[in-house]
Amino acid sequence: MTTESENQEIQNKIRNIATELLNSKKVDVIIGYVNGTIPLDASIDFIWNSNQVNKLVWNNKCYLNLAKFLVSKEPQLQNPKDKKLNIGIITKGCIGRSLIQLYTENKIDFAQIKMIGINCNGIIDRNRIVKELGEVEILEINVIENDIVVKFMNLKGEELIKKFPFSEYLSRSCKNCKIKTPSSTNVPQSSCYGDFQNVSNVEDSFNDLNEFEKLNFNERFNYFEKMFKLCTNCYACREACPMCYCNLCFIDQNKPTWFGKTNNIYDIMAFHITRAIHLAGRCVDCGACSQSCPAGIDLNLITRKLQKIVKNRFGYTAGIDPKIKPPLTDFKLDDSEEFMLEE
Amino acid sequence: MIILKTKILNKNDIGKLIIELSEDYNFYAPLKNENGILIFDKVFNIKDVILDYFNSKFPPKEILFPRTEELFKFKTDGKNIIEIINQPRTDIKNIIFGIRGCDAHAFNLMEKFFKSGNFQDDLFLIKKQNSILIGIGCNLPKSTCFCTSVGGDPFNKNYTDIFLSDLGDKYLFEIISDAGKKLLDKIEWLVDAKESDIKNAENLAKKSRTLFKQTLDLKDINTILDNQFNNTLWNSLTNNCIGCGNCAFICPTCTCFDVIDEFYPSKNIGRRIRVWDSCQFDIYTLHASGHNPRNNKIPRFRNRILHKFLYYPLNYGFLGCVGCGRCIQICPANNDLRNTLQALKLDKINKEKMEVKK
Repeated sequence: MTTESENQEIQNKIRNIATELLNSKKVDVIIGYVNGTIPLDASIDFIWNSNQVNKLVWNNKCYLNLAKFLVSKEPQLQNPKDKKLNIGIITKGCIGRSLIQLYTENKIDFAQIKMIGINCNGIIDRNRIVKELGEVEILEINVIENDIVVKFMNLKGEELIKKFPFSEYLSRSCKNCKIKTPSSTNVPQSSCYGDFQNVSNVEDSFNDLNEFEKLNFNERFNYFEKMFKLCTNCYACREACPMCYCNLCFIDQNKPTWFGKTNNIYDIMAFHITRAIHLAGRCVDCGACSQSCPAGIDLNLITRKLQKIVKNRFGYTAGIDPKIKPPLTDFKLDDSEEFMLEE
Repeated sequence: MIILKTKILNKNDIGKLIIELSEDYNFYAPLKNENGILIFDKVFNIKDVILDYFNSKFPPKEILFPRTEELFKFKTDGKNIIEIINQPRTDIKNIIFGIRGCDAHAFNLMEKFFKSGNFQDDLFLIKKQNSILIGIGCNLPKSTCFCTSVGGDPFNKNYTDIFLSDLGDKYLFEIISDAGKKLLDKIEWLVDAKESDIKNAENLAKKSRTLFKQTLDLKDINTILDNQFNNTLWNSLTNNCIGCGNCAFICPTCTCFDVIDEFYPSKNIGRRIRVWDSCQFDIYTLHASGHNPRNNKIPRFRNRILHKFLYYPLNYGFLGCVGCGRCIQICPANNDLRNTLQALKLDKINKEKMEVKK
């Protein structure tokens, strides 16, 4: 089966289930992906009526994590009658993981949520394609059979076409994804529509971190320095992250100030590393942070390293089973304490 | 528009020009950063300069309005401030080379903005006065460009000191301002342009104007946006906004900043700085009481649109947008400015029709 036909199948499934859910009044609204106005992006919209269902799409550019819209600081989905809304949400593997993780953190209630599960086939690494094409204007991106076909205009005004093999130009987090279809383990069946799987244990070799782990202390510091020098402090990584739901982010604390907000490299590094540590054992590898970064910084790399540490230490993978307590919010008497300093 | 002088700059001589002018000026030009992103930065190697480009991903705003800028330093005796040390006003001279008409236009808007009101922002204005803008014509506007709809032009020379048009192996080098004329004294070796060169450049500009894929009708935008403050349409327009600061930080005309005091108690010294702020952030307009008049995404998003397209015309008499289209390209959720303006316009028209029917 080609990627193109997979996309068509996923899209049809989304539309069919969405129509059913809206018509049967099981949900009031569906959060989903719609076509964007520029070739590199898909957009997001709230669908309230089954006659709008054909706006919903699936096209390998749907990189934002929709779970974010359930935990935004000020609820965007408001019912005029102040009744709690029943929400349908397009659920690729990582969105499913986000929802389960958010449930374990008491941020959402499955009673209000209907997940439309899909067999996600991955997101294009748009930063890499833009970088490799150089100074051109991208006019169209389509997935045809198993290729990403990019139509672009060069500086001479000529329209050209270049093909990129889909499997190679997947985003890094999608390449290493182990849970493409959302997990339904211990999730109320009344919330699951579409494709789900039972996940109990996830084998992950974290091979993609090998290169990073080879670096020694100084090299690693230089790597961070080089990477974060490009950061513009726009906080798109934080805003795209479904796990960043604090009422007041530590970087915004100003009574008194906790962290500097300047473009000084150490201020920037302090922000990103502190944010990453807050995500230890919580990050679900959706890669929305890396894809939404305007400077093309691969932020997911650090949170992934922290996932590995949590996995090795506690055997925990975030967002596969709502019954398992996240290790960093729980304790066991036999937890290793070798990091404790003796008096 | 009066062109003071018209010269020719051969492409082979660009290196020579940069070296000669770098002696007295900080020379900024478009080049690629480590991640392959086109930005404006100080030139250290002539080979880095890229003059064949659509537009830089980040605007050159940062050169005159840095992301972090020190206002003054202060000393304390542990309790009270005992001395304020103002930043010495240096006359650093800048040349911003290869800037697009839209970005030069944006610097002009910023200058008008920082000049207005009772207090002048010298920090920006002195730097602007000491900067020479060498513009370059835009042969191929992007599909998101709409400068012609907001009073701009791909060959907008109005706000530059010198303007270049790409004629293949050479540039037409037009002197627009007195500052540009002064600069010419340093590069006397430029030869005069022929009539045919000027003609070619004109044709280039004409052709470029035909390449725009869209025009937004913004002539009566302030009447359209007037009385839209309480429109419920803002809710659905804000649907996909995730609340990051990309649109503001990428905008060549956004001027908001936050003032922060940094204090080092161990040394009894501190400094007051300003850093860029975005109206999409949670703590933007957060009062000391804890109250925030714009307490969610909807009023924040509304503020961004109304500020540029209603309050700017009302307060200063011009739009706060230069049509570079960067915010459309950068938005992670693809919240398109063009759609927003179009939707508000249609809404107004529909409501008026309903009124007539009644």
